[in-house]
Amino acid sequence: MTLADFRLAQPLTVEDAVAACCQNPGSRYVAGGTDLLVNMRRGIAGPRVLVDLSGIDELTAISSDASGRTIGAGVTLAALARNTEVAGRYRALAQAAAAIAGPGHRAMATVGGNLCLDTRCIYYNQSEWWRSANAYCLKNRGDTCHVAPQGQRCHAAFSGDLAPALLVYGAEITVAGAQGQRRIPLSELYVEDGKAHLTLAAGELLVAAHLPPAPPSAAYEKVRQRGAIDFPLAGVAVALAATGATLGSLRIALTGTNSWPFLLAGTDAFVGRTVDDKLLQEIDRLVQKQVQPMRTTLVSANYRRLAAAALARRLTARLFAEPALSLAPTPG
Amino acid sequence: MTTSADSTRVAKRPGVPLIDGIEKVTGKARYTADLDHGDALVGRIYRSPYSHAEIVHLDVSGARALDGVVAVVTGDDCPHTYGVLPIAMNEYPLARGRVRYRGEPVAAVAAIDAETAERALALIKFEVKELPAYYTSEAARAPDAVLLHDNKLGNIERDVHHEFGDVGQGFADADLVREERFNCAEINHAQIEPHASLAEYDPATGRLTVQTVSQVGYYLHLMIAECLEMDTSRIRVIKPFIGGGFGARVEALNFEIITALLARASTGKVMMQLTREETFITHRARPQTDIRLKLGMRKDGRMTACECEVTQRGGAYAGYGIITILYAGALLQGIYDIPAVKYDGYRVYANLPPCGAMRGHGSVDTRHAFECLVDRMARELGLDPFAVRRANLLHAPMRTLNDLTVNSYGLNECLDIVERASGWRDRVGRMPAGKGLGMACSHYVSGAAKPIHRTGEPHAVVNLKLDFDGSVTALTGAADIGQGSSTMVAIAVAETLDISLDRVRVVAADTAVTPKDNGAYSSRITFMVGNAAIDAAKKLKAVLVAAAARKLEARPEDIECAGETFRVGSGGQSALPFADVVAAALVDEGAITVKGTFTTPVEAQGGKHRGGAVGSTMGFSYAAQVVEVSVDDATGTVSVDKVWTALDCGHAINPLAVEGQIQGSVWMGMGQAMCEETRYLDGLPAHASLLEYRMPTIAESPPIETYIVESNDPYGPFGAKEASEGALAGFPPALVNAIANAIKIDLNELPVTPDRVMETLVQRRRQTRLAKTVKAAQ
Repeated sequence: MTLADFRLAQPLTVEDAVAACCQNPGSRYVAGGTDLLVNMRRGIAGPRVLVDLSGIDELTAISSDASGRTIGAGVTLAALARNTEVAGRYRALAQAAAAIAGPGHRAMATVGGNLCLDTRCIYYNQSEWWRSANAYCLKNRGDTCHVAPQGQRCHAAFSGDLAPALLVYGAEITVAGAQGQRRIPLSELYVEDGKAHLTLAAGELLVAAHLPPAPPSAAYEKVRQRGAIDFPLAGVAVALAATGATLGSLRIALTGTNSWPFLLAGTDAFVGRTVDDKLLQEIDRLVQKQVQPMRTTLVSANYRRLAAAALARRLTARLFAEPALSLAPTPG
Repeated sequence: MTTSADSTRVAKRPGVPLIDGIEKVTGKARYTADLDHGDALVGRIYRSPYSHAEIVHLDVSGARALDGVVAVVTGDDCPHTYGVLPIAMNEYPLARGRVRYRGEPVAAVAAIDAETAERALALIKFEVKELPAYYTSEAARAPDAVLLHDNKLGNIERDVHHEFGDVGQGFADADLVREERFNCAEINHAQIEPHASLAEYDPATGRLTVQTVSQVGYYLHLMIAECLEMDTSRIRVIKPFIGGGFGARVEALNFEIITALLARASTGKVMMQLTREETFITHRARPQTDIRLKLGMRKDGRMTACECEVTQRGGAYAGYGIITILYAGALLQGIYDIPAVKYDGYRVYANLPPCGAMRGHGSVDTRHAFECLVDRMARELGLDPFAVRRANLLHAPMRTLNDLTVNSYGLNECLDIVERASGWRDRVGRMPAGKGLGMACSHYVSGAAKPIHRTGEPHAVVNLKLDFDGSVTALTGAADIGQGSSTMVAIAVAETLDISLDRVRVVAADTAVTPKDNGAYSSRITFMVGNAAIDAAKKLKAVLVAAAARKLEARPEDIECAGETFRVGSGGQSALPFADVVAAALVDEGAITVKGTFTTPVEAQGGKHRGGAVGSTMGFSYAAQVVEVSVDDATGTVSVDKVWTALDCGHAINPLAVEGQIQGSVWMGMGQAMCEETRYLDGLPAHASLLEYRMPTIAESPPIETYIVESNDPYGPFGAKEASEGALAGFPPALVNAIANAIKIDLNELPVTPDRVMETLVQRRRQTRLAKTVKAAQ
């Protein structure tokens, strides 16, 4: 399908970008464009104005001080993946970044874009002809969710890889809007609704993600059919600290299975216990209970549930067996 | 049988890069979409949103009235069906009366630009009465199902029932009889170049020129003439560079005829570029296939009987369907010595895009089932997989039970090579947990011995032109679609004349210039066109030798020519350079044109039984391969660590190209085995993008060790057979056998996606638990 006409705004500051977006209802921010442009070509996004973020220098910085590390929303996934400081201290984040899509995508795609990735569904990410022949869907122009026709909400799945890694590190984000900037936990960016999974208000822009200075040991892994390109069928990040032979802390976050990336509830109960088969079984059950994969992919929902649980088990066991990382906070 | 080419041997060469390779890698090559179309109208197709419906009313008046729209065509503009087989042409380029799959072309527009053309499509009103739609063979075959085509009862396009030898006796003689069912998903060629066609109609001369992605320009030429009711002499079909075919373009395709209809209707030039989704919808690829296979085997591994039932979900129209269902049965033979073979095949219509030919046409899914079951029976009998294959080898020359000729056979050597190279004997059964080795064999025809259109003409014709400039121009209708056929022709000519390769120029696939060729299908070009090229080159050589003889005042039989020099006797003192001989040859007749042909002898054209021509060929290629895998049983993911493949291609005319073809075959087999499948949601193609149709990426592509076995076919050009398809069908079973070796599960569905592996693992755990419970209760 031919790309519909749009106007391009090219601000140089965050303030100008927010102003441009606020002044033009129906406008969208564009950074790498690897998600948005594909959707525009398919006719599932049709902004009349695109606010291009690539000219805003402050979005592309990675910096650190005593309070931790700040990663600009405009940092490309390739730059994030090859940043040695990130790889050394925030391994799960580097692993997630390095495994997204293919090298071409990573050169263009950004941290902010991946965190704000549109949710995906096999009934949604199709051409105009396809969706029209199928009477559209709840997420776009229609009134039925083909995945769960009896349900009330859209079940499109979130499939960004960075979010679970950042969630287990307890990351926060800065959001700029017409009223200025606010800093919130990353978990508050998302809600479980495939049609509106981001809590950003109109015109709000994700500016940066903030990581704590002394993170626990963490890792990220995902399953997908191919070793590149594919979105995660299930992606899992685990962060844990061991106190001697027992767990000092445990956080597990998931992507690809629900309409939002989320921290697994109930992992605090495992603190003080050792990681053995019994505990791994309990983690498995907890994951299977909380994930809610639906028929949004061509691969079965049940597989995504089982795979998510298997990854959580494996990463927990692997991290617990690993010698603890001893990282002093880096000077700013 | 007569010998068509003598046993001419060429010197062993390392191989040469494809003669058009540099143009491709530098971006200089121009594919259909790159052709100059600045002044062309933009064509777009209105496609049915319904799976199965009677057309009540089609209103294109809004589209026609739109400013900038130059032509609109519908089914009313073409009352002729088209298709590849004269006996099975049941498809209109634009639907008439009924639509039978979602995406079927209904109308088309030509407009001044893409935006206008798309707006015009939106103005088309399409009123229908929906009919029940069937998306599985089972549903389509139900007794009360509405017929897609009125003359095809049970929605069966063709059923085949063949029995050779005494199958009952064969099973009675067996020590072990096993039967299993296999299900192979539908796949697509997914060639990288999307479909495109550029057609120009000149109202002054009444001539139509079509430049398009076809593998079969000649068949397209005929179909356009029929559909447009034009004299064939007014049509010209030219093949630009092509970005892959694999069978996607071995029949005239609807969009090609539609583009021609639009060009004539607009009396101008129309460019039609299909989207990736439309390219997938055009389809014509490997059908979803259900296989029930029963084999009998003696304790020593000798096969005693084979009984196979194949059901192919062929889609909404005939296409190559009859050929595919016949191939699936015929190619059960020609690789092993089986005393009795029974085959029942059913080609079924369903409300999905039509299937067609795809690399390994008809053979791949049945070969998969066969090689998997043979492996499982070997395991049960405590036999090594290699030993079982060796117990059933053929001995060339021979004829199979179904009258296929096997003139050369290098499978034994292929087996030896991959067994040794993979370290099979030392490694199998001694691998770490989760790792395994599997093997399988496969074969394929070197060209269908009987042409689709039985005109009585030679199967291949090559013209050679030699003029004042001393260059040799080979004119061939053979379509180089990336497989390297033009390079093969150049080498065949250069080798036969013993001249430098760069003295030969190949002009290919332009119906106004080159002699007719049936096209790039069934791996026929090397065998047939190669032989024709050698024949032509020999004739040219005779002309040159005669001229040299006159000049050197010697008898022609005393002239030796080598390395572009002609002399009397091998040690002759007076030598003539090539240019002088050419000049001498031109004196009598001027520019020299010679013609070489090749015709398949009737003895090689298959048995007398109905459908016996399909599978018949002058020579089969043979392949054996070993696949090494790692399986992650927590996530069900399989990775291929390494592949060893040996292919008997008779003789490698261009070893470099053969190696590329083996790698490509293995890789394509890997795609079908591991991740590729089409998926329809109520008839809508959910897979129609390169994201959802999962071809392997380089990330999961293993190292492939290739070995070329040269069995020297007595009839092949320089002893060559086909090299592009034979190694494909072995990969899926070798993979499944390797997974069985690694984690002890037998998978009966393709592709082996993580969810399918996981499901089988979960089932096994459940059965193990159940067995334990039962045991505890006892």
